Amino acid sequence: MSSGVKPGRYFVQGDEAIAEGALAAGCRFFAGYPITPSSETSEAMARRLPEVGGVCLQMEDELASIHCIGAAAVAGMKAMTISSGPGISLKLEGLGWGIKNEIPYVVVDVQRAGPSNGVATRVAQGDLYTVRYGSAGGNASLIALSPKSTQEAFDLTIECFNLAEIFRCPVFLLTDETVGHTRELLVIPEESELKIVKRFKPTVPPEKFSMYPLETPEVIRHPFPSIGEGYGICVSPYTHNSKGYASTAQDVQEKMAKRLVYKVTAHLDMLTRVENQMMADAEYAVVAYGGDARPALAAVEMARAQGLKVGFFRPVIVWPFPDGEVLKVAEKVKKILVCELNIDGQLVREVERASKGKAEVYHFGSGGVEPHLPSQIFNELRRLFK
Amino acid sequence: MSTVGDTLNLIHPLVAKYLRRERMPHMACPGCGIGQVVHATLMAVDELGLTPQDTVWVQGVGCSSRITYSTWVGDNVDAHHGRMFAVATGLKMSRPDMNFICFTGDGDCGAIGGNHFIHACRRNLDVTAILFNNGIYGMTGGQVAPTSPLGAVTTTTPYGNIEDPFDMCKMAVAAGASYVARWRSTDFRQIANSVKKGVQTKGLAFIEVLLQCPTNFGRYVLKTSNPQEVVKWIKQQTVSIKDAEKLSPEEKKGKILYGEFLHQTDRPGIVERYQQLLKQHQKE
Repeated sequence: MSSGVKPGRYFVQGDEAIAEGALAAGCRFFAGYPITPSSETSEAMARRLPEVGGVCLQMEDELASIHCIGAAAVAGMKAMTISSGPGISLKLEGLGWGIKNEIPYVVVDVQRAGPSNGVATRVAQGDLYTVRYGSAGGNASLIALSPKSTQEAFDLTIECFNLAEIFRCPVFLLTDETVGHTRELLVIPEESELKIVKRFKPTVPPEKFSMYPLETPEVIRHPFPSIGEGYGICVSPYTHNSKGYASTAQDVQEKMAKRLVYKVTAHLDMLTRVENQMMADAEYAVVAYGGDARPALAAVEMARAQGLKVGFFRPVIVWPFPDGEVLKVAEKVKKILVCELNIDGQLVREVERASKGKAEVYHFGSGGVEPHLPSQIFNELRRLFK
Repeated sequence: MSTVGDTLNLIHPLVAKYLRRERMPHMACPGCGIGQVVHATLMAVDELGLTPQDTVWVQGVGCSSRITYSTWVGDNVDAHHGRMFAVATGLKMSRPDMNFICFTGDGDCGAIGGNHFIHACRRNLDVTAILFNNGIYGMTGGQVAPTSPLGAVTTTTPYGNIEDPFDMCKMAVAAGASYVARWRSTDFRQIANSVKKGVQTKGLAFIEVLLQCPTNFGRYVLKTSNPQEVVKWIKQQTVSIKDAEKLSPEEKKGKILYGEFLHQTDRPGIVERYQQLLKQHQKE
């Protein structure tokens, strides 16, 4: 199999950058189901994966595609699937299998206007909580990264694959239609410049290996042997002991639940990535993520041009939520304006919770279809300043 | 845990060779037919010379799966309810060199996983699927299944089942599987032979076994908890494909056929076709 990296400068959509990022990260298995606005990634994978000796399948439905990639990962592949809106709702059924069995793979959510089918071709940001809390049964600690550009779609897809291996869990790339369909410059570096994490493999014989390290819940980079490697692995939907045998014992459930949560929460230092701009003297802050971060930043620049002391803050890794970084912002400024493409208020709740009352938090939402305009956010800022 | 079998040193040689001792005794109810099917499967495994290194057991959810999961000495991959074929697809396409023996149930395969079943047959995925058909939801306590007989009284059809049962072998044939057969749990040798053919046949092998569930099917549908009565009932409902040829349409009415329905050796499946696609398009 080849490296899959095609160095060069390209003028492509975010969705295509995701495909190239996946290939560069070593993804050699993709299964999907057509859904707007994510199909461009599936199409790119269908073209590119056979070239590098990988497998690309269009499955009969969203459920099949996520279970198929989960199984491919169990068979040793780096694997990915993608969807949007109603497709993500279905994929959540399979996500639990990946979470519980600590299977490394990547799921991409190209958010579109909802609920239900909503507006298939247009943007919104309604899935922040869906990806984090959508898998029934709780006891999960999800990792999700959100790009704001085509370049970041490439870079963060690689990062998703790396984190999936390190933490042995499914990782979300939480993007949106704006980023997915924005055609702009993508620079793919030489392979030698990319940092790629390979699957960790056991260094001890099968009888000494714990497939699920329940006794050391915080351990990361835990090996994941695949089928056919002589480890007699056991993967199932049931609460398991360290070998993967089903158990109904309370202490086993307790240990498994703690393992699934603590492996992420014990390493928040590795999982905090934010963008801070013009924050040094800021009295107000604008917070946004993903595609909506770009009009938000533009609005902050407009405000600065008029002498208003406004800073810009963006979580790049959205889950786990960067509570500590948000608190620093809240301690610095008087008011925070949270921009996002939903009316119910999702990011704003997290910002409010993490601010601990240190700043006034305001929501500037929209149901989606159109992204926010910088002028709309700027006008809202001016209103706040009065 | 020490069992009666351990004490009397009564472990069957096939169990000793292929199943995990620490997972015995398995959790099947007394009189359940699953043990018979697992036995026949192990006969096939042994006769074919399959090993824990080259063979994976795959399951869904239900009695078929909960009882067989993590018993095979090699790798065991148990899917969510209904997703067995989707998981088998990911496994087989990633490791075309390995054998996959897949266990599913009538609810897992015929109801919640029906769509995956159809498409695995259509793709003619090269795995061997064994359907444990007990005609009822056993694990959850006796609810009606898509394979329950018309009129069956179950915990969710207290006034009798008003739906016709699903002939899943017909579906497998129609959807494109390479090998399709149906047996009763008592057709020991035939099941083992079918599993052998299934593993050796390129493409999807679908082997349905009608088996007795005295605990739930017996209790609710037949009003007996005697396994022999349930086995007898299954025998009364069934007629071999060969014998059926001699029967009049009137005599055949309501009978379930058993035997080999289809064995085609020339229909390429997705595994082969993908290898061909790679040969043509792999660049490096």
